[in-house]
This record gives sequence, structure tokens and C-alpha cells, in this order.
Amino acid sequence: MTAQTFKERDYFTDPTVLLDPYGYFEEMRPRGPVCQLETHDCLLISGFEECVEVLRNPADFSSLNSLASSAFPLPFKPEGSDISEQIEAHRDKYVGGDLVVTFDDAHHTNVRSLMSRMFTPSRLKANEVFMRDYAGELVRAAVAGGGCELVNQIATPYVTMVVADLLGVPAEDRTRFEEKIAAGQTVGSIENPDAPTDMSAVEFMGAYFYGYLEERMANPGTDLLSELATLPYPDGTKPDILELVGLAVFMFAAGQDTSAKLLGNSMRYIVDVPGLQQQLRDDRTLIPWLLEEVLRLEGSSKATHRIARRDTKIGDRPVPAGTQVIVALAAANRDPRRWGDDANEFKLKRPGIKQHIAFGRGSHTCAGAPLARAEVTAILNQFFDQTSDIRISAEKHGKPGARHYKFEPSFIIRGLENLYLELTP
Amino acid sequence: MPHVHVTDRSGEESAIDIRPGTTLMQAITDAGIADLLALCGGQCSCATCHVYIQDDALAELSPMEQDEDDLLACSSYRKANSRLACQLRLRDDHDGLRASIAPEDL
Repeated sequence: MTAQTFKERDYFTDPTVLLDPYGYFEEMRPRGPVCQLETHDCLLISGFEECVEVLRNPADFSSLNSLASSAFPLPFKPEGSDISEQIEAHRDKYVGGDLVVTFDDAHHTNVRSLMSRMFTPSRLKANEVFMRDYAGELVRAAVAGGGCELVNQIATPYVTMVVADLLGVPAEDRTRFEEKIAAGQTVGSIENPDAPTDMSAVEFMGAYFYGYLEERMANPGTDLLSELATLPYPDGTKPDILELVGLAVFMFAAGQDTSAKLLGNSMRYIVDVPGLQQQLRDDRTLIPWLLEEVLRLEGSSKATHRIARRDTKIGDRPVPAGTQVIVALAAANRDPRRWGDDANEFKLKRPGIKQHIAFGRGSHTCAGAPLARAEVTAILNQFFDQTSDIRISAEKHGKPGARHYKFEPSFIIRGLENLYLELTP
Repeated sequence: MPHVHVTDRSGEESAIDIRPGTTLMQAITDAGIADLLALCGGQCSCATCHVYIQDDALAELSPMEQDEDDLLACSSYRKANSRLACQLRLRDDHDGLRASIAPEDL
């Protein structure tokens, strides 16, 4: 089959792409690192250098469609070589248009400046005891039961509680949020193509966060919400409370699915790569290397999206204003031009591994990345401390070499729907 | 417009306009200087935006906090005038500041 003859699969809706997005990207790669899709009016960027170039060029590429995706036509007819004003005028037409992940320019710089203080090493260090104790509790119960379903039984409540503790969300509200998030549809659902991203959980939590922030403004404490409630923008002005509500809810919600999936994806590699589990048990300092390689091979976000707001270029290719682009993080992270011929293989301590773009690059780099790394490391350590052997259930997922897994039905998220483990104390 | 002068690893110098409120890291990456990886995006978590500041400008900058100090301590190329560019928020009166990008830690 040549690049010219195969029928292009639909990245946004085809269940076979969901199961193996990497196969789809390899199928598309011969068309070049930047190629026009036949199924949608947008460009697919699968090259590493090209993805980095776009992510580091916020002047020419708006993030407004980063959640809504490139699957839908623009809600206006682009006019001229600079459509920045048209884009801003249609912000309210976009899912997540009021969330920091879609902001551009000074508005983004201002809100991002608040976030830059949230997940610093000293903050995370202060949270480490909670992570370790809570992870320990969850793993202990799982080991006592002989096994667990990792993604929903352990990973999701764990990451919810960690970020709730970090922000200072009252204990009694945490389970309410967890239930609401669990009941909601995944972001970028392929099962609901007309409305793939549902904001109802974010709206539900907004009312609670408004109350917390109002209370912290009156009586600031030492938690993150208090800091958020009192920090000024870089120019000295104070953010509006609604802006802070949006930011706090986003920080709470954004890390849920992605961090939980990172734990699931990591565990799958730990068990299925021959010898890796023992290697990590023998030398825990390898855990960060494991995480980076899993992030490269199986990061929790497959793609983000941008709109060219000025006539620009990617490499030498002219890109007119109004062009939507899929920045395929998962494809870039396996680009053989960047990673070599073994790009699809798991390799601990791969040279230059930290330069993968699982968390993006540039001004919109995932602010929660340090938290994700810290919390997944903490719980993996607990699994190794409290078990002598971890196995993936052959009954649920098949034998090694012939595993079958279910993945979140999302064109954004890459992660297991469930992972059944057997644990030996 | 006020600007800062940044020297990349090949010795090439660029004059970059100051947009008050942005960090030096943002200014350098927005100017398309690829040497500054800034992998964590400005979270004071990775030390890949390590720069050297011209000595007489050091006192004009916001003081170093513990996280930045700890990260720089892990660099093989730390000098007395080392800073992380993501921790330096630019103001108009930083006009003329000179910085050079430190070698990459492996």
C-alpha cells in the first residue's frame, strides 16, 4: 500500500485510530511532517521539529481551538493576512474559550503568571507527605485484596485527592467533585462527535470554587487557593474573582484524567516490558527515567490544536491565516527523524529524553507536569514498597504478548479505561 | 521600545523588545531563539532556561528564591551571575540588560 492509495482514516472518529493512534500516525508520516488531511480541513503536524516550531510560535498561532480541536470549521470567514481580532471576537463560540489553555497574548501571560507559582518544587515537597500517606493507604488496601483495578479504583481518587489537598479544597467537597468528574464524558469524546467536550463538571465545580476564593480573600490562609486569591498580576493589578474561579477549576480538573492515565500507562510498561519491574525495584532512581520514556511513548495527551492567526510558515511551508493545525504530540514523540529508528521502542535512559513534548512546549507547556511526575513517582514507590510482584490480570487483559486493552474513547486523551492488576505482598 | 540583548550559544547577539510583565524566558523563546529549551514552561522546575546576566545588572533583578537556587545548584555550569530566565520578569527599566544562554546540562 502506498501513501497515495490507502483510504485516510478519520483521526477524530475512527475507533481503530483510538485503539492504535501510533499506527495511524505512521500511516500519515510518509505524507510529510506537515500534511493536509482529506477528512477535515486542517493540517496534521507529525514531525517533532515542526510541532515544537508551532508550539513556540504563539505570535502566529492562537490556542483558542486547543480544546475544541481542529475538527470543526472556523465559526467565521477569515479575512486578510491577520485574523487575530476575528478570533478574539468569536472566543465565546469555543468550548473552553474562557479557560487559560485557550488564552493568547497578554491575557495568557497574566493568568499564566499566577499558575507559575502553584506547582514549584517547594510546594510539591510540602505535599509529599500527603501523597505518600494517601498512596500508601490505597495500595495497602489493594494488596490486602490481592489485586485491584488500577485506573478507577486507585489512580482517579488518588490524583483527585492530591490536587484537592494541594489547593485546599475542603474534604467534604472532594468526593462530590470526584463523582461529578467520573460521571462526565471524557474530553474530546469520539462517541459524541457533535459535542466532544462537555464542560458541565467544570461549571458544577465553579460555584464551589467561587465560595472558597471569596472566603480566602476575606481570610487568607497558607493553602494554594489563598495564594491565588491574593496574588496580583505582573503589572500589579488584581485579577477578577471570576478569572480566578476559572483558573482554579481548570487546575483542579485538568490534571485528573491525564495524571490518572499516566499511572495506568506507566504500570502497563512496568509489567509488560521484560525485566523492567525488577530493574526498577532494584534501583528506584530509575523511576523518573521510566516516566519520561512512558510520557514519550504513551503520553496522556495525543494532540493539541492551534489556529494560524497570521499568514505564516511551518518550516518552508506557507500557512495562511485561518488554517487549523493538529499538533500531534504523540506523533512527534515517535518521529524517527528526532528519536532514531528505534523511536517506537521502550528504552530506559534514552539520550535527550527530557525533550519529549508530552506536556507540550512553549508558553502553554502543561503547568501541572511537575505535579504529575511527583504524584505518579510517589504511588509507584508505594507499589514497589508493598509488593514483591505486580502482574497484569491475564483473565481480564490476555497473556503477555497478546494483551487486549480498552482505551478512553477520546481524540485528546491516551489512556487505559481500566487496568486489572494482581498484587503479591 | 526598551530591549534586552541576548547572546545565544553560538555567540550571536539579538536585541529583543521588552513587553513588560513577560519573563526573560518568554521574551527569548518568543524571539525564536531555539537554544533556550525552557522545558517546564516557566514553573521553576527544570533549569533549562539557565542564563548568565551581565554582572552590573544583577542587582536590578528580583532576588533569587530557594527553588531557583536549588535547581541552579544541580547545573555543572553555574556561575555567580547565573539565573533562571523564567524567574526574571521584565520591566521597562531593564532596557539594555545583557544576558547569555548558559551551556546545556546533559
